[in-house]
Amino acid sequence: MEIRLERRPTVSRRINISVRILAILFSLPFIGLLFAAYGVNPVDAYLRIFTGGFGSPYGFSETIVKTLPIGLCAVGLTFAYKARVLNIGAEGQLIMGSIAATWVALYSGLPQSVITIIMLLAGFTIGALWALLPAVLKSELNINEVIVTLMMNYISLKLLDYAVTGPWRGLTQWGFPQTDPFPSYARFPVIGGTRIHYYTLALLLVSTLILYVLMKRTKIGYEIRIVGSNPEAAKYAGISVNRNILLVMLVSGGLAGIAGVGEAAGIHGRLIRGISPGYGYTAIIPAWLGGLDPLGTIVASFFISGLMVGSDAIQVSLRLPSSLVYVFNGVILLFIVSSEVLARYRILFKIGGRKIWI
Amino acid sequence: MLVFPSVFEPKMSQSKFGGMTVLLIAISLIIGLAAGYFIGGAGKVSESQYNQLQTSYNQLQTLYNQLQQNVSSLTRKLKAGFIYVGPVEDFGWTAAHDQARRYVEKIFPWLKTVYVESVPEAEAARYIERLVTEENVDVVFTTSFGFMDPTIEVAKKYPNKIFFHCSGFKRLPNSGTYFADFYQVYYLNGLMAGALTKSNKVGYVAAYPIPEVLRHINAFALGVKEANPEAKVYVKWLFAWYDPTHAREAAQALVSIGVDTIAFTEDSTAIVEFAQEQYRQGKTLYVFSHYSPMQDVGPDVVVSGQIVHWEVIYADILMKIRLGIYNNTNLANVDYLWLLKEGAVELGGKPGVPINPKFVNELKSKYLPGQSISVYDAVITRLALMKDANVPFDPFTGPIRDQAGNVKIPAGQRATIAQLFTEEMNWFLENIVGSPSG
Repeated sequence: MEIRLERRPTVSRRINISVRILAILFSLPFIGLLFAAYGVNPVDAYLRIFTGGFGSPYGFSETIVKTLPIGLCAVGLTFAYKARVLNIGAEGQLIMGSIAATWVALYSGLPQSVITIIMLLAGFTIGALWALLPAVLKSELNINEVIVTLMMNYISLKLLDYAVTGPWRGLTQWGFPQTDPFPSYARFPVIGGTRIHYYTLALLLVSTLILYVLMKRTKIGYEIRIVGSNPEAAKYAGISVNRNILLVMLVSGGLAGIAGVGEAAGIHGRLIRGISPGYGYTAIIPAWLGGLDPLGTIVASFFISGLMVGSDAIQVSLRLPSSLVYVFNGVILLFIVSSEVLARYRILFKIGGRKIWI
Repeated sequence: MLVFPSVFEPKMSQSKFGGMTVLLIAISLIIGLAAGYFIGGAGKVSESQYNQLQTSYNQLQTLYNQLQQNVSSLTRKLKAGFIYVGPVEDFGWTAAHDQARRYVEKIFPWLKTVYVESVPEAEAARYIERLVTEENVDVVFTTSFGFMDPTIEVAKKYPNKIFFHCSGFKRLPNSGTYFADFYQVYYLNGLMAGALTKSNKVGYVAAYPIPEVLRHINAFALGVKEANPEAKVYVKWLFAWYDPTHAREAAQALVSIGVDTIAFTEDSTAIVEFAQEQYRQGKTLYVFSHYSPMQDVGPDVVVSGQIVHWEVIYADILMKIRLGIYNNTNLANVDYLWLLKEGAVELGGKPGVPINPKFVNELKSKYLPGQSISVYDAVITRLALMKDANVPFDPFTGPIRDQAGNVKIPAGQRATIAQLFTEEMNWFLENIVGSPSG
């Protein structure tokens, strides 16, 4: 008997989706062993995660709240990853966006009527500028963007620490490291009874659609795909690789910046330490999981967010340690990521003279 | 003919309380007598008699309602939820809260508790709300400063539930605050550090430049100054509550400039382990344990330290909630700030051991400058004074000057709560080397 991997002649959307769903289903028994080891009925745990994340109105609304920052970062990342620009810096770009929003809200002195729009613009701009430096370093000096964007995350974290423990420390906060609250006109409105800030939601949906159309239907999208799949060919075709690198980084940085504005103005109403519990890193997963397609990525972001929201439900109700919840998320993601190979390749079993493909 | 509704019988039989039963019997007797009087009086009841009877009936009804409330409060079960910022197995803040949770659950048979650990501050609201809606807890304790806004947000949404936030300053009718503070203990540690240092260089590895930490460093430095006016306190900032790697590096850096005595604010045993290693290599590095009992980790180097007893506060709050003294309408001014006097904090690196016996003789042989009292005796007597109900001694008593020589607390005055616990605490004592802004 012989087993071999063969490249699939074509990768259809159907295969793409079914492989990922199968991956999730296959991961469940493994996690089930862990649950069982803690004396928890696995089926019960799955049901609770599902209802905790998607099944109850409260869980559903909280899943959307989490989808906003993760989705905005992830959709931007698909754009960059399509051009093979591996931006790992969404976290830092998000943080810079929230810092920019805070400056506008508390220190700019701008009129109330324009403050929210300026916050969004400032967040986009600063997020984009924060991504511009690694983009320029890559395009001009061919310096690895993974390292630079990653390092810049730490710089932005320290800037955030400096801002809230230093010059921006709130005057009414008893000296604790956070800014004063934003005035009410600088806070994003929420859908009644939930924490969904709908400015950000609208921007997420609109930017997803724009990027989708841009990527599939325009020359820009075509160029980006060529740059990503074969930069040498792109050069011969007269496409500027450097310009595309700058473009995708500006867009992905800017969207992450908007995510940061949303967290500051929509959720916390101030700048705090740890304003992002790693949304920018989490967003890398749905970007790949969604096949670098903005629509797929939104669905994947929603799914990942639901998993996270749902898994805190089991922590609360089943008394599982928080580390087990991380293991749970990690195992599912590991299965999904490694299933990628099955979307592109098929398994060939040769038994005697017969060939079976899966 | 008047008929009294028989409000008592069915519920009375359930009551198990002797005193209560006697009272109820007394009331029944009165009713019986009154009824007997009128029934015996046969036939007609005048209007005034009727009104009188109606009034006494209403009074009885009120009394009965009150009694019933008391009974239900005594049979009431409570469910408390705890939100932690770290894992329950850390060696500091969260572990201390969780030990207290387990303790109160053990001593109060009517109490059930649940907890969630490692809750990111940015996502706390969701966890708090889940405890309320899905676990149906009666009271939520949120144990990190960063949980303040989410606690208030959820408390507004669920006005029937009770909330307590640790270390914050925002309150609502259904949301109180509590804190156990170490500054007195740090001062005592400082006395010992000042007496023990031979290089006159004392180190402090500090978490974040916030009032709590600044207050502790200043209290420590006050002790150092009193025992040894020549000594300086060198501060290194970590910008983290838990970071063993950098804590160790910071301690190493301090040692390299000649520091031989270290205190710290960091939730691991890294610095104590480092000091014990130094000891094994024949170098002296005295250290003060922080938050949890760490003396066993560094038996040859831990002089003393600070231990917290959150259970004292939790027990008080929960008992008062159960008895109905605290409810969802009267917490707007409930703010626990408990110190040595209340037993919420303890001096030492091991429960019941205020000073490691290994260092007692040395401390007995050192005297406060210009005084005939040994440092050991000073520590013990001042500890007693601060435990006293009237607290006749407080380390933050003027004159106290900052690094620039400005008088922060005038001679003879004690620091106010605001001076100690708010943004006014943003300075360093004159003998400190380092910046109070990090």
